[in-house]
Amino acid sequence: MKEEDDPTLVLRCREGDRHAFEQLVRRYQRPVFNVALRMLRDRQDAMDVAQTTFLKAFEHLGDYDPTFRFYSWIYRIAINETLNALGARKPLTGLDGEEVDGTPGPERQADGEQTRRAIEDALMQIKPEQRSVITLRHFMQLSYEDMADILQLPEKTVKSRLYSARQALRERLLQRGVDLT
Amino acid sequence: MTDSDLELIHAEIDGELDSRQRSELARRLLAEPEVRAVRDQLHRLCGRLETLEQVEPPAELQTRILTALPPTAMLTRARKSMPRWRYAALFAGVLGAGALVFETVRGPGPATSEMTGTMAAGAPVTLDTVSLSEGPVAGRVSLYREGTGLAVALELTASAPVDVLVATEGHTLRINGLAAESGAAGSQVVALPGGMKGQPVELTFLMSGRQVGSARLTVP
Repeated sequence: MKEEDDPTLVLRCREGDRHAFEQLVRRYQRPVFNVALRMLRDRQDAMDVAQTTFLKAFEHLGDYDPTFRFYSWIYRIAINETLNALGARKPLTGLDGEEVDGTPGPERQADGEQTRRAIEDALMQIKPEQRSVITLRHFMQLSYEDMADILQLPEKTVKSRLYSARQALRERLLQRGVDLT
Repeated sequence: MTDSDLELIHAEIDGELDSRQRSELARRLLAEPEVRAVRDQLHRLCGRLETLEQVEPPAELQTRILTALPPTAMLTRARKSMPRWRYAALFAGVLGAGALVFETVRGPGPATSEMTGTMAAGAPVTLDTVSLSEGPVAGRVSLYREGTGLAVALELTASAPVDVLVATEGHTLRINGLAAESGAAGSQVVALPGGMKGQPVELTFLMSGRQVGSARLTVP
């Protein structure tokens, strides 16, 4: 069966077709959940954010401008909801939103699972806005144009933020003794 | 190591270097071991980031989302986009359009305003849903909670106007002329009094005064 495109499904939703919204949920629940999971590193919190994201999308479908891509719109809601969820967490952070590193001393990290964990740990130690650009660029494979749409920032600002984020991540990993050579 | 070096390295990672910038970076890599080291580290880091795979969301996520969807917003949008509703002007209540006939059939009860007031804020939760597939009236009726209030959402398709009796303990709310043109959906949301735990909401569908269907929703 031919898959309907996003604008068609959105139009059907606006005409009261709940089944069309179900198709949008099926299509986007995975990326929305993954955006939240990468930024929150907690499956339950990511589930909550994904649910809230789709509920907000549903409630505000009338405000969505179909000249923009639907996925940019729903990712924007997801990022904002994730940042809200992070803001509501008890602060484990020091100044400037940088988390306190409780890891004692450098660790020797092998490739594979340990490296993955080290990267995920380091991601949680950089600022949330840096984490969001890393997530969109490197996990969701989005272009700068898409990222600028989602974050509602100029492309130049997005690039600059991503550069800083990569640097911060690199420094965190080196501090943890992860071999990047 | 300068800011310009870093910009070139990041642009290289993103595949955005032009030939002049490529030459400039190559010159800097040869001249500065630190630039070379940072460039290698950033390339390696980005390569590793790309290998982290997306995970499948829990199977229950979709159900959770769909169960929590409120009928309200969808119906509001639908109303805005469906001017062809022939009978919409007959309706009133929460969405407010037309005449809503409310009659108390037995016993004292809450004021009419309690039955038709605006729902309180809060995430709506669907409590019970019945699908109608047999007879001249098709569609779905749902009972949901929004904030401290309860409401029934009616999404019906019929070939002719349908009157709906919404009966709760001691009260009956009558909605006249709910239906739409053939094949299109007609919708209405009706607020109910609170404090109905465990009580059923009986729905009776009438065409030309004759009962053509019924449904029962229960407040858990």
